[in-house]
Amino acid sequence: MKITELFDRGEFVVSAEVGPPKGINIDHVIEEAKTYLSGITAVNVTDNQSSVMRLGSLATCKALLDAGLNPIFQLTCRDRNRIALQSDLLSAAMFGIENILCLTGDHTKLGDHPGAKPVFDLDSVSLIHTVKLLESGVDLGGNALVGDPPKFAKGAVVSPCSDSVDAQLAKMERKVLAGVDYFQTQAVFEPEKFIAFMEKAKQFGKPVQLGIIIPKGAAMARYMNNNVAGVHVPDDMLAELAADKERAKAGITGVEIAARVIKACRPYCQGVHIMALGWEKHVPALLEQAGI
Amino acid sequence: MLITELKSKEVLESLLTGKVFIINCHGCKEVSFPEKEAEEFEKELLAAGKVTGILTTDYICNPENLQVRLERRRAMIDEADAVLVLSCGVGVQTVAEYLTPKPVFAGCDTVRLPGFQGVTPQEFDCGQCGECYLNYTGGICPITACSKSLVNGQCGGSKNGKCEVDPNMECGWERIYRRLEATGRLDMLKCPTQVRNFATDAEVTK
Amino acid sequence: MENYTKYKLKNAEELLPVLAGTDNIFVIACNKCFKEFESVDEPDCGEFLKLAAEAGKTVTGSTQIDFLCNQTQTARKLKDAIPEGTEAIFVISCGLGIQIIADMVKIPVFAASNSLNYTGHHGMALTKKACDACAQCYLNITGGVCPIVDCSKSLINGQCGGAKDGKCEVDPNKDCAWEKIYRRLEEQGRLEEFRNQPVQLRDYSKVNFKLVNDYVKSIREKRFDGYYGGVHPSERKEMSEHCELERFPESDIMVIPLSQASGKPAEPLVKVGDTVKVGQKIGGKAGFISANVHSSVSGEVIAIEARTHPATRGGLSVVIRNDHKDTLDESVQPKGSLESLSREEIVSIVEEAGIAGMGGAGFPTSVKLNPGKPIEAVLLNGCECEPMITADHQLLLHYPDEVIFGLRAVMKAVDSPRGVIVIEDNKPDAIELFRSKCEGLDNIEVVVARTKYPQGAEKMLIKRVMGRMVPSGGLPADVGAVVCNVSTVKAISDAIQLGMPLIERVVSVTGECVRKPGNFLIRFGVSAREVLESCGGVPEGDVTFKMGGPMMGIPIPDVDVAVIKGTNGIIAYETDHSQEVECIKCGRCADVCPMELSPLYFNRYLKDGNIQGLKDMNIMDCMECRCCEYICSSKIPLVTRIKEGKNAVREMK
Repeated sequence: MKITELFDRGEFVVSAEVGPPKGINIDHVIEEAKTYLSGITAVNVTDNQSSVMRLGSLATCKALLDAGLNPIFQLTCRDRNRIALQSDLLSAAMFGIENILCLTGDHTKLGDHPGAKPVFDLDSVSLIHTVKLLESGVDLGGNALVGDPPKFAKGAVVSPCSDSVDAQLAKMERKVLAGVDYFQTQAVFEPEKFIAFMEKAKQFGKPVQLGIIIPKGAAMARYMNNNVAGVHVPDDMLAELAADKERAKAGITGVEIAARVIKACRPYCQGVHIMALGWEKHVPALLEQAGI
Repeated sequence: MLITELKSKEVLESLLTGKVFIINCHGCKEVSFPEKEAEEFEKELLAAGKVTGILTTDYICNPENLQVRLERRRAMIDEADAVLVLSCGVGVQTVAEYLTPKPVFAGCDTVRLPGFQGVTPQEFDCGQCGECYLNYTGGICPITACSKSLVNGQCGGSKNGKCEVDPNMECGWERIYRRLEATGRLDMLKCPTQVRNFATDAEVTK
Repeated sequence: MENYTKYKLKNAEELLPVLAGTDNIFVIACNKCFKEFESVDEPDCGEFLKLAAEAGKTVTGSTQIDFLCNQTQTARKLKDAIPEGTEAIFVISCGLGIQIIADMVKIPVFAASNSLNYTGHHGMALTKKACDACAQCYLNITGGVCPIVDCSKSLINGQCGGAKDGKCEVDPNKDCAWEKIYRRLEEQGRLEEFRNQPVQLRDYSKVNFKLVNDYVKSIREKRFDGYYGGVHPSERKEMSEHCELERFPESDIMVIPLSQASGKPAEPLVKVGDTVKVGQKIGGKAGFISANVHSSVSGEVIAIEARTHPATRGGLSVVIRNDHKDTLDESVQPKGSLESLSREEIVSIVEEAGIAGMGGAGFPTSVKLNPGKPIEAVLLNGCECEPMITADHQLLLHYPDEVIFGLRAVMKAVDSPRGVIVIEDNKPDAIELFRSKCEGLDNIEVVVARTKYPQGAEKMLIKRVMGRMVPSGGLPADVGAVVCNVSTVKAISDAIQLGMPLIERVVSVTGECVRKPGNFLIRFGVSAREVLESCGGVPEGDVTFKMGGPMMGIPIPDVDVAVIKGTNGIIAYETDHSQEVECIKCGRCADVCPMELSPLYFNRYLKDGNIQGLKDMNIMDCMECRCCEYICSSKIPLVTRIKEGKNAVREMK
């Protein structure tokens, strides 16, 4: 199901993400998703996240679909040129995958194959533009598709807590102009920043899902502050995580923090997207605490 | 603009099994040449009695002058089993073509400074993309100023205004945004979606 | 010759929408580079102006500039060029020039051109070969044919199946690179080696921003260090810098030219048969710009006749048979302490002693000591930026007290409150020595300059030390400076402290063709032949001899010429048989010219007979430092051309 249908109905859309394994045994991924994520609207499948080579996003999406879940096919521009990207989009549509999320992708130098050739033939904006074209029955080369064109709910990302939020908004607008349907955001820990961002972003009239990470401890939070773009865990949350290590380790503190952020931001957004990073098991508790 | 770096000693030694004639190109001084490293390496070869001659010169990519200089050292070249050229790739190819069938080896790897640099290395580069984007970007080149050469705006990877690939590098698109803001031209960001054309220019391929 | 022009004008379809939002436009066009220099006028600017006029745009002006990417020169040329009321600037250039302008001005800048995309760096001869700088050269496994550039797919493990009749599937005009490689390897008998090559994998991560950025920074630092331009030729001083200074014996027959300084030759004051003594004046200065000449030995004058002169090739010399008694002339008497001498007395001692600039130019020093303007600093040139030569270095090491005394004498003569000794950083021993000698002297300091040629040129030295530009056609005194060579002030010291006029100097004898290089204290009149003979024999074969250094030294037709006041070196090196090829507008000459001139135009205009053009491009400001000729990728003898051009301009007047 296209998640845009839910947005259109005014539903608060919840999604979470799974990362495919570095290998071909996918059963436990499907099991976890079925156990913890079957209650939510859709499941994102990352595309060689952080430039680390893994099982393909498309294949994992198909497996999730077969298991009765609703996948969101993440697609980055790092590893494929425009021919491969369009071809994979057609494959996805043929499998019945209806949701996609278009990203530029981390640079190859950040991953486990730093010597790889970074492609970036297209970028997130031109990828959305390309999907729009395919939907109209024409490919990027101007050639007509044979038969029915694919139809997708086209998603993109934005970083509301970035240190250059104006530039983020400008890029967001370009994505809107290119034809995006919905946004998922980078992880938010500062509701006031998110709310200020949404004040400006609402003019675009596109649904936005709040990005959430359940912090696993003070060390992880500090790591994100130092290394992850657009993510900042404020000092009081850091202190909260550091105060009781056992509680944090058990996920109790992290779930509390994440639930607070969701509650604070809920009136301003149209859904939430949870990046569980292996803590899929805590997702049901988080949703419950957040009142969803 | 190029930087030439001496290949590793193991690689060089594996190439030079017999006697060698060496050519150092100190030509265009803007192509950086590893003078000291080369000298040290050549000293060792000399001491081992493996060198039939050394020619240190410039602009070996200039075939007319290269030929004059090589011919004057014909005997030394004939005596050598191979010729080792320390220069950028253009120089090695020029020598290799002229001296064939004598095996000619490259002693250096050549590293690119991104883009065309002009007469003196600049803070600016031209990526020679063939379809200038500077009109959309307030005069900052997105091909060279952005690690991913994105043409539709920044990715989400910058942290504190620095590029995800290299924290020493400013995010090109944040620079572009500031420049457009400063010149009152933020409306440029509403231009149509840009799709690059990677085809080589017809003029070049003809 | 391939044309590697970096840009082409955008077509009307692309330009009209950009033009639509603008008016009152100014147009800047780059005159292109990396193409044969056939015409001075490139058509693109005119084409664009026509289009703008058709679109009904007001154009406030336009200018065509060489090498827009040369930031320093472009900034200077654009100063005050853009009229009031200009609302937008259109730049016709590669992306580099456009970015430079966009960074320089406050008004919106638009690109009127697209760069042309070539694969790889094309080198400096504009052939078809290129290097893509892949950071892992594959030429060793391909027999010297580049698979990255020449193969359309940049394959590195062999050909694809796409070639037809040896031609590439992408372009039927292009040979399949891998078939070329195969044939090359076959010729070299290396097919087996190729078959056994391990699988090649490209590594795209090798270049990082920091490496590049640091490199660019270091180049720029060097480039703008002290003054604009200049070059870093191989120093090659190691051949003679370790050679301890020795006194060279006087010859039996000494040939002393009467012309040893710039200006008029001295008039002979002796006649054949006269007996002369060491330090006796034998030639009297013959005008304002002229210098006395003294005998460097005692003996008998046996001829006054024309002999080959190292610079002028002719002119009179006094020939003396040396009696080897070294009898001093009565006039050789100490002249007293600096305190006891007035400034006028110092100037007249210098004039009487025949002292002329010993850095090579030979300008009579006494004239310099009457600057007629207030002087803020006397700069001593101890740079010795010429490659190979180590004479001043030896002099600094052996005569530090004399050099400082001479500097103080000059400071007193020109009433300067400050003295600066400038030494290049390739002479750490001399720097250390002078630092310790100058300790406690509050008006004399040592400045260490990073090695760069032509550091020792007056105007460069002033820019480096005082940050001032001597105006076009001006003299150092115009900016409050007097510049002297260290050897010159040592001569001044001798003239005052010993009363000895200028009769000898330190000379480096070096070059790869000299078997036993050395540094010698040589009396004027000894022939280069004798000096070379004692240094392992006069080199034979294809050798170039120069008096002075390789950059500004004067080529000598044969070695039977005498050492004179300006002879800081006698060098012998392998003749360079480079052939001149066409100018490719690489821009390097303009990049290195320390006077910020555009030497490529001197060559072009001389060919065209455009003498007014030469004058307009300020050819007369050229000091013939040879940086442009040194860097010229086409091996054009630019200094020879410039000399011709200057003569033509002089005749025009």
